Amino acid sequence: MSSVLIKNESRLGLKLVAPAVGIIGLLVIYPILFNLYLSFFDVQLNGSKTFVGLDNYTELLGNPRYYHSIGVSIIYLIGTVVGTTVLGLAAAILMNQTFRFRNLARGLILLPYFAPVISVVFGWQFIFDPVNGIYNHVVVDVLHLTNERENLIGNPDSALFVVILFDIWKHFPIAYLLFLAKLQSVPKDLYEAAAIDGQNPWGRFWHVTLPELKFVIATVVLLRVIWNLNRFEDVYLLAPNVETLPIFTYYQAFAGIVDQGAAAAISVIQLLVLVGLIWLYVRKVLKW
Amino acid sequence: MSSVILRNINKSYGNLPIVKNLNLDVKDGEFVVLVGPSGCGKSTTLRMVAGLEDITQGDIQIGNKTINDLPPHKRNIAMVFQNYALYPHMSVRENIVFGLKKSGADAATIKQRLTDVSEMLKLNEYLDRKPADLSGGQRQRVAMGRALARDADVYLFDEPLSNLDAKLRHHMRTEIARIQHQYNMTAIYVTHDQIEAMTLGDRVVVMRDGIVEQVGTPMDIYLQPTNTFVATFIGSPAMNLIEAKLEGEELVFDQYRIPAAKIANVDMHSLSAHDTVLVGIRPDFFEDSALSSPSDNLFEFNDIQVDLVENLGFDKEILFKLGGEDAKARLDLRSHVKRQEHISLSVDLNRVLLFDTSTQGMLLNAGEV
Amino acid sequence: MMNKRTPLQSVILYALVLALVIFCVFPFLQILSTSLKHPIDWGNPSLIPRILHLDAYKELLGLMPPKEIDVPASIQRLLDNPALSAEKKQMLLAKFSSGGDVFPFGRYMLNTFVISFITGICSTFLASLAAYAIARLRFPAQSLMANGVLFVYMVGGVLLMVPLYQMSVNVGLASSAGGTIFSLFLIYLIQTLPVAMYMLGNYFRTIPFSLEEAAMMDGCSRVEAFWRIIMPLSKPMLFTVFIYCFVIAWNEYLFASVFLKQYQDFQTLPLALQTLFTSKNAIWDRIMAASMLTLLPVVICFMLANKHLSGGLTDGGVKG
Repeated sequence: MSSVLIKNESRLGLKLVAPAVGIIGLLVIYPILFNLYLSFFDVQLNGSKTFVGLDNYTELLGNPRYYHSIGVSIIYLIGTVVGTTVLGLAAAILMNQTFRFRNLARGLILLPYFAPVISVVFGWQFIFDPVNGIYNHVVVDVLHLTNERENLIGNPDSALFVVILFDIWKHFPIAYLLFLAKLQSVPKDLYEAAAIDGQNPWGRFWHVTLPELKFVIATVVLLRVIWNLNRFEDVYLLAPNVETLPIFTYYQAFAGIVDQGAAAAISVIQLLVLVGLIWLYVRKVLKW
Repeated sequence: MSSVILRNINKSYGNLPIVKNLNLDVKDGEFVVLVGPSGCGKSTTLRMVAGLEDITQGDIQIGNKTINDLPPHKRNIAMVFQNYALYPHMSVRENIVFGLKKSGADAATIKQRLTDVSEMLKLNEYLDRKPADLSGGQRQRVAMGRALARDADVYLFDEPLSNLDAKLRHHMRTEIARIQHQYNMTAIYVTHDQIEAMTLGDRVVVMRDGIVEQVGTPMDIYLQPTNTFVATFIGSPAMNLIEAKLEGEELVFDQYRIPAAKIANVDMHSLSAHDTVLVGIRPDFFEDSALSSPSDNLFEFNDIQVDLVENLGFDKEILFKLGGEDAKARLDLRSHVKRQEHISLSVDLNRVLLFDTSTQGMLLNAGEV
Repeated sequence: MMNKRTPLQSVILYALVLALVIFCVFPFLQILSTSLKHPIDWGNPSLIPRILHLDAYKELLGLMPPKEIDVPASIQRLLDNPALSAEKKQMLLAKFSSGGDVFPFGRYMLNTFVISFITGICSTFLASLAAYAIARLRFPAQSLMANGVLFVYMVGGVLLMVPLYQMSVNVGLASSAGGTIFSLFLIYLIQTLPVAMYMLGNYFRTIPFSLEEAAMMDGCSRVEAFWRIIMPLSKPMLFTVFIYCFVIAWNEYLFASVFLKQYQDFQTLPLALQTLFTSKNAIWDRIMAASMLTLLPVVICFMLANKHLSGGLTDGGVKG
């Protein structure tokens, strides 16, 4: 019997994962549970808490602002997920063609993804600035679509669409990368066979590309939903008046009348939804 | 150098047995080749010696010391891998001396060994290159060099030539044979190629389905295979096996009646217990009757219709029917047989083997090889 | 083979590529352009400034000569009055030269750099150990940990904002600047560890197992094989992962805003920029120049790591 070698290996394995897993356990798993605990308390910024039972939840479910922010989040999710997926796919198909300066173009379109949010939001704000922005210049002075310069970001309703556009701009590159990787692995002869069968480019896209990409599309959509459900900075920094769920949570927890217990309760509900989505991802998408 | 002893080795993954009750003694300075089809457990056996796989049951000793629980790096073994496993970020020189340095050899020894090995394997001009800049054959030589530079107790080779093309493989086979004689190393060499096994091994271990079928010198195994598996696995083209009826003292198939008593080492008494036997004749042992000198022990298969002739240059392989089965004979360029011709082929009955139809085991007593 | 493109198809293709690239790059050009424009030029829709105006950069980088303090004419007349004592003049001047007008950009950059750098190093190091174990060694609960990493990787920071803040309050870390920064460092660590583990795990799995075996045959223990073969071999990927972690920390705003609000000296760039933007002296050229300078290190990192980054990201399912 030589289980000694096996034992040595598992001991080393545990030793190597211990620090990382310990930190993750302490600062992710424990906080998730602690958050559940906090959601039953009235919690102050200085740490003092009083048990309130389910009050946080009942208050939350009776708060119209909560439902409003769910609505905003849903519009935001639909807009961004559809936008990033479609633009990502289009960009991947485009960048999969051969043309001059392709590598340069491929590099440039990744820029939005890597740029810090903080350093690009002001550029976007300037673009939509009512006084100096290029948007109002084009819409009012060049195209004469309206007569008045509008403050798109100042108005929460129109700001939502700017925020969606910004998210698409910022995050389509990651969808694009996933699509491109898959496209490059589609065997060329599939296209050739389809071409010989008399399929035009549109038919080739419909009958060859799309079926091959089916799973990646599902992956991208699900991942976008998971990430965007939690997205904070991209929205808050560009237009703090667009109240998606994370921003509503943030206001509850750290601004105005601080109610960290309520924030914890929102997080608990949101986490449940998230766990469902992650479960879907692990079960359905990763198995593919 | 050290001897290696494997005692009652068993290896299984869960309930799936991979190696069953394997026993093997490799003597000090001996070159033993494990050969068998893929999945026969030969590589697993080698990896157990190396310590890269744990042993489910049994003992392995190196130099009379049981090493079951010793981690691989304390076993003082050098190994050549099938995919070479060269360190991609190190130069050829660094690859070769890495193990030596690790073992704490002094600078002079390292330098000496590096010179020896790179000269022997003609690596001098590549020493500063990275593995990625070498051809397949060069990488293989570096992998060899890395093992040979070490002063190991045992050298293990895991199909080291299987990624090379035929010509290079032949060349490196010769190189390894040469080096083996020069170094007199204790080595275990795993291959699925029976030619490598025959040419390199002091002794050859033929394995199938985790079981050792036969251990012996290459000529032992070639001339006296213990069963039909070994008989057909070793030797190319494979041995012809023809089922014959035993009528009195004669083996009968087609129109031929072979006098059994003339077959070397035959035990007529035990043979008489059988109704049928398998007659084994290697293609190499057929001769064109037109060219052979008559002899007492020669049996002639007359009126053979040649179905196909494959010319290989000096040799030619003849395809024909014997006992209803496809059979092959290897003749040399002196014979001028053509397709569809009828010819006679002779065989020295001393070279004919008999196997049990049901157990597939050899029926002859072990004799002089 | 694919049909060759007709001239019309080529034109359409290049037009589409150009449109996409402009869509991606335009905001950056806008930022660069505005940062270089003189205030009178802001209303000019052209991206090219009429006059090159570098004051914003000079000011942020502390290159502005102090004498150029903008003193109103009435005060200047007072200052020119020889009857006024030198002491009084100094006081008057000080009112204009300080008073929240100075934005210590260099300091914020240094803060951000230090915490991002340390995060990147620690995260890459810890992740490489764990990822190696999960990818290569057999031990109990291995697949649970592999899946756990994936799960943790998807739990966003927003969900942990309250409990993490309360935890740091409870253990007393939030009450001192040092403790707060340490909390923030730990938070950045968990924000980067799962990604780093994921990327490195996928990378380690592509290294042939026989390399470690060869190292062990050459006399290395498993740990030595990891240190002497696998780690040096993975340098490019380790560097990529480091950059990725560095950029995550460099960009982070949420937790920085929660933890560092009251410790102005230790604020990171995202927080400082937001403060600058909402403050009274928000001037477009200054904000844009600050944006440019925040962006620059990221773009440099991106160019350095680009080769491996794209592949590493798609292998990992990827945060974003």
